[in-house]
Amino acid sequence: MAVRLAGLLAKEMIQFFRDRVMLVLILWLYTVEVVICTVALSFAVHDLPLALVDLDHSPASRALATAFAAGDAFRVTARPASETGATAALQAGAARAALIIPEHFTRRLARGEPAEVQLLVDGSNSTVAAQARAYALEIVEEHARDQAYRLGGPAARPPLGVALRSWYNPAADLERFTVLSMIALAALMVGVIHPAASIVREREIGTLEQLRVTPIGTAELFIAKTLPTLLMGLLAVFPSLLIARLFDVPLAGSLGLFLAYTAVFLGSAIGLGVLVAAIARTLQQALLLAFFGLFPLMFLSGTLAPVESMPEFLQRASVVSPLRHYMDVILGIFLKGAGLAELWPQGLALLAIGTALYAAAWAVFRREFE
Amino acid sequence: MNARRIAAMLGKESREILRDPITLGVALAMPLIMLLLFGYAISLDVREAPLGVLDLDRSPLSRQLVRQFTDTEYFALAETYTELGGVEEALRRGSVKLALVIPRGLARERQRREAPQMQILLDGTYSATANLLGSYARAIVAAADPVPPAIEVRTRVWYNPSLRSVNDVVPGLFGVILMAFPPLLTALAIVREKESGSIQQVFVSPLSGPEFLIGKLLPYGLIAFLQIAMVMAVGFLWFQVPMAGSLSLLLAAGGVYVLCTVGLGLLVSTLTGSQLIAMLLALIITLMPSFLFSGFLFPIFTMPYALQLYTAIFPARYFIDLSRGVVLKGAALGDLWLNLVLLIAYTAAVFALAVWRFRKKVA
Repeated sequence: MAVRLAGLLAKEMIQFFRDRVMLVLILWLYTVEVVICTVALSFAVHDLPLALVDLDHSPASRALATAFAAGDAFRVTARPASETGATAALQAGAARAALIIPEHFTRRLARGEPAEVQLLVDGSNSTVAAQARAYALEIVEEHARDQAYRLGGPAARPPLGVALRSWYNPAADLERFTVLSMIALAALMVGVIHPAASIVREREIGTLEQLRVTPIGTAELFIAKTLPTLLMGLLAVFPSLLIARLFDVPLAGSLGLFLAYTAVFLGSAIGLGVLVAAIARTLQQALLLAFFGLFPLMFLSGTLAPVESMPEFLQRASVVSPLRHYMDVILGIFLKGAGLAELWPQGLALLAIGTALYAAAWAVFRREFE
Repeated sequence: MNARRIAAMLGKESREILRDPITLGVALAMPLIMLLLFGYAISLDVREAPLGVLDLDRSPLSRQLVRQFTDTEYFALAETYTELGGVEEALRRGSVKLALVIPRGLARERQRREAPQMQILLDGTYSATANLLGSYARAIVAAADPVPPAIEVRTRVWYNPSLRSVNDVVPGLFGVILMAFPPLLTALAIVREKESGSIQQVFVSPLSGPEFLIGKLLPYGLIAFLQIAMVMAVGFLWFQVPMAGSLSLLLAAGGVYVLCTVGLGLLVSTLTGSQLIAMLLALIITLMPSFLFSGFLFPIFTMPYALQLYTAIFPARYFIDLSRGVVLKGAALGDLWLNLVLLIAYTAAVFALAVWRFRKKVA
């Protein structure tokens, strides 16, 4: 048994590490793609192109305009002379929002009447639009408060102060999250696709048939087909760790625990890959099925949009996504310094998912193999 | 070019697709699943985020503050603590997303007209949610302490007044779905023949390169059209996405885009002889960029300049701009011609490159 397994394993290892293009692509997913996504992707809106229409031409209107130009949120790209100009800029996509300061703005302020300004927001990306609106309201509110406090008499009361602290991520940007989620995603993709492809390829060229007439059993085949991917997946984590370092992602928890959890997570991904291989007849089917399975798993993991924002039935469905549990683990270990005391439920969930997938694959496979 | 030979190739390829229920099933079911997931689940908005409270003041003011938090739909009181250690532990466990720390003496300081200070601790691991919760919290505290607003902002959101995310997700998804499947399917269809060696038999047959390609690509183009029709039907009928512009313009642009995606698949197929590598390549040069670097979810203008240039080399960006322009803004060709021209030029270039590379192998 041990000798047979060793022979089969050696063959798999050689095959795996001989495929240079494949190795390069896997490394690409684990490194370059992680870097590109981390640098590029952010939901936080800044430098939003703003069209500014000042119909009042007064010091007060200019002060408000300056408040908009001064922050990071907006970048004034156009100063049309009229509202029509602003409309055209929105329609052409040259601006994503327009601020219109009407005539008599100063006069109303001087009289103590509420002065009105108009904000037009391009809603064609709703996330961006919602943020743009919130930022604009905040800027105007702050500006108004400033002015009021400066002019205010003895009745002016210092406002209730709030110190907002973002824990585990003081910069409050998406960078740390993206680095970690892309690493997890790479592990999932490689973990599912590679074993599926390597088993089905043998079926397609007929060598699976040859294996069947050898004394090799289902268990040995499973082990030999999954171990190289597991090994590769664990090794590929290390270049990713360097990249995480590069982006100043701290490793607050223990590296050993992280590797252990990664192995369990890869196990469940590989389980899915083997199940796909058990169902698919051709490589094309295997690749499409893998894709079919990967997408919802990725989606329900919270890497794209937070799980808490999803409707109830999808939140419940997300429990089956190993990536969702692994995201909790990887964020917990790296950013929060969480240990086994906090993360044991995720560990159990990952083990359960992996076992179920393996059992299903086993059941399908045995019918064919034995 | 011979119509009969093309028809034969076409027939063979179509039969192969029809006889492979898994491939066909995935190709038709997957866009719908993507649409449903995106339609229902892409939202950054948070309702009833679990809130933790450490109230050391225990004054009417502090109780009123907490009530103002729980009265909104954004927060739901999950836990209360008696010391800071409890807050820390809850954040680490992830059982609350935001914790309110009201120090002793808040009410007294406020009466004395000093500047009282309270603390809000956020779980910052997912910054998009954290930032949103932070601004809600700030707004709630500000509302507890009203200042007469000297400047009023009248906001109007254009093109999507209710800010329904489905309205911009669906037209964006046209661009993503067409980048997800047609390139992958075409690349696999050709590389499959390479891998099994049957492409050599095609080469020695009287079938010419263009005939082979037309017969091979046409069925996948059709599948792509079927996918887009399904997504449009579900988007417009089920999700009730309003259509402001001209459907024919959208379909025409969609036609060009389908050609482009099939061309990319062809290009991938000339780069490798292995289906697995073809799939990974397709993932890296078509699916991921169309998803991440097209403005579909993540706005392009916030990216660093070098990466904005990177996004320009993938066609999904031009089509998604165009599709959103037509569907949401009701934009006409006058506004969108640049996108269309870029798309056509891109398609022509991809096809020329792919056919040239392919011909080199045949001839």
